[in-house]
Amino acid sequence: MATGGGQQARPTRPSSFSRVSSSSFSPASSSSTSTSLPPGVRIGANGAAFVSSGIPDLDRILGGGFLVRSVVMVMEDADAPHHLLLLRNFMSQGIVHGQSVLFAGPTKEPRSFLGTLPSPVVQKEGLKIKHDVSDVQDKEKGLRIAWQYKKYFGELTAVDSHNRDKKQEYSSDFDLRKPLERQLLNSQNIECISTQDAFDLSKLQNHCLTFVSKLSLKDGINSNAGRIAIQSLCAPQCGYFEKDWDMLSFIRSLRATVQSSNAVAVITFPASVLSNSISKRWQHLADTLLSVRAIPDEDKDLAKLLTGYQDMLGFLHVHKVAQFNSQVPVILDASTYSLKLQKRKSLVLERLNQAPVEGSSGVSYATSGSCSSSKGSLLDF
Amino acid sequence: MAEGLIVRSLRDGSLPGEHAPALCLEDSLTPPLASHSHAVFRHLLTSLLSTGTGTAVVLVAFHRSPSFYLSLLSPTFHNSIRLLDCYSDPLAWKSNHHPPPSSHSPQNITLLTNLNHLPHFLSSILHLAKDFGAQGHDRVTVAIDSVTHMLRHAPLPSVLQLLTNLRCHEKISSLFWLIHTDLHEPKVISSFEYISTMIASLQPIVQLPDYANANISASITSLEENYSKAKFNVRLKRRNGRVKLLCEELLIEQGSVKFSSVPSVSSVVAQNLIPKVQFNIQLSDKERMDRANVVLPFEHQGNGQNIEIYDGRRSLSESQKDPSSIKIGGLSEQKRSNNNKSEKGEIHYIRDSDDEQPDSDEDPDDDLDI
Repeated sequence: MATGGGQQARPTRPSSFSRVSSSSFSPASSSSTSTSLPPGVRIGANGAAFVSSGIPDLDRILGGGFLVRSVVMVMEDADAPHHLLLLRNFMSQGIVHGQSVLFAGPTKEPRSFLGTLPSPVVQKEGLKIKHDVSDVQDKEKGLRIAWQYKKYFGELTAVDSHNRDKKQEYSSDFDLRKPLERQLLNSQNIECISTQDAFDLSKLQNHCLTFVSKLSLKDGINSNAGRIAIQSLCAPQCGYFEKDWDMLSFIRSLRATVQSSNAVAVITFPASVLSNSISKRWQHLADTLLSVRAIPDEDKDLAKLLTGYQDMLGFLHVHKVAQFNSQVPVILDASTYSLKLQKRKSLVLERLNQAPVEGSSGVSYATSGSCSSSKGSLLDF
Repeated sequence: MAEGLIVRSLRDGSLPGEHAPALCLEDSLTPPLASHSHAVFRHLLTSLLSTGTGTAVVLVAFHRSPSFYLSLLSPTFHNSIRLLDCYSDPLAWKSNHHPPPSSHSPQNITLLTNLNHLPHFLSSILHLAKDFGAQGHDRVTVAIDSVTHMLRHAPLPSVLQLLTNLRCHEKISSLFWLIHTDLHEPKVISSFEYISTMIASLQPIVQLPDYANANISASITSLEENYSKAKFNVRLKRRNGRVKLLCEELLIEQGSVKFSSVPSVSSVVAQNLIPKVQFNIQLSDKERMDRANVVLPFEHQGNGQNIEIYDGRRSLSESQKDPSSIKIGGLSEQKRSNNNKSEKGEIHYIRDSDDEQPDSDEDPDDDLDI
């Protein structure tokens, strides 16, 4: 079984200089660690292990992926189902890597959700070779770059170059139009639970505990990573909906469970149906917090303001990024991204860009008087 | 248009594999909106039935007696509607003492007394829906007059489960209900909005004056408008994941309702939704290639051609702009425009003055005596 050997991925987090300096000083984690890693897990900055979220852009934004032993929460928008896109990619990535997956959803037949999981895009051979050549060139150039300029080389430094010769890639592109193959879905390590009729969360809690204990049953060295995906945990139609404190203590126990094993949990929840104080508590319990927002349709103001408005599905906002072994907070260049479908099949995240402004009309976005006023940046070189 | 969209969506029902569309009609106690919203509810009911395309309605009546609803409709439609009477005896007072007279109730009204037990409730609705199936109506819409009344008898999660089960059921093609927003906590209202696909709410046209501060006399007379008009806001969740926001005006005339569209005031959604965005200063591959292809206006192009100076006074065949319009008082401005009208970019350079020798390799600063 191809294992991900312990290389150090060059950090891709932008503009956080102490992060870069810490990685340049970190001791020889580039030498292979004594334990080989389970498939789909990669060691990143500060010796933390990451699993891919299934969306390569999101992995890059979060600095490597979802941190193993963390809880990721996604705040849903009541008007749009974009959180399902994130969940689907997350689960597919786990299945493709052969990791165990536990799914809980507020429907009668959660198994049917597995039928909507996308299958990975098959990379053509020509593309792979081209990447290898450019990697060699970049390596030569990249020798003497001072640390403060490293942030400009985001896409050029091929972080995944080491993984190209491996059988399994760390993070695959998924084709949302093609469903995942049946035989992958029938494997033993995928469980589905329905939360709709449950009156309390004890059953779900027990399932999570047994799931996680199965992960470490194999010899401790090579225990598989596990993924727990819970859809709409506080959906109003679930029987336990009014029990706010029970739900909070479930999340706390899930955090403890996940922290003592090789699992990642992704929980989506509609924040609008919770009261403000309880919703804040939920958000504080997350290690990584994302939110998806719906965009209004045929909105002329937005179309004038942003490029590529027609292709956008919605917005993804990154509120919090998990940290491990470091006191330094992650400061992102941009925290709101637009969700788009590239060639109608794979999900990409793009930064928001302002559309060019016509000289005469001048949609002055800078009503708050910021220095990045639209006209100013066009004219002053 | 908003009303048309709603009615069409309710009439069309769901695509196979989808849940049924659900409309949440919200009203508030701000006078006199409560009566307006009920008028809208009745309007939707009648417009769904009156098209005669085989839509049948199961109406769950809590708020008014069933005979009231039947009187609204012309007798031809009485066959297309079945009523679940939850108004007459919700707490089962009468049926406990006197057995219900089964022969008295008309054919299409079913009395329901056990409102606490929601599975029974659900099965009664489905039973009525199946009855329609026997008659040949393939699309059954369920209308609930005020979910607020349902919440009196049963807890919120079970009411929501009931509505979700109705949406999933293959016999039900669409669903709409009325809810009074003032009587519930905000999270209850947002839970109902969460499970619905369309949300319609009414707002007064003229806001009530702030009696403490504002100038009262002017605004009270305009308040009368509220009795005949209201703002009808609709939020539609579309299949592509986007939200369509519509705002129309509602005119109430003697119990009947008319919708008219209003020149829409664009909402300030954009400002709240996105942070300050920057221009994209990265170049795409195509843009990089175009930039590389631009011929710069050097006098030596380095390819052995004759030195040609683009003189603004002579018009060249390639020039696309009329440069003579640029000369102002003898001085011509140096203008550099990078327009992509043709395949390659062009740069037009107009010399400052005529007595400059072409590129004489002289440093113009040489004549400074330093």
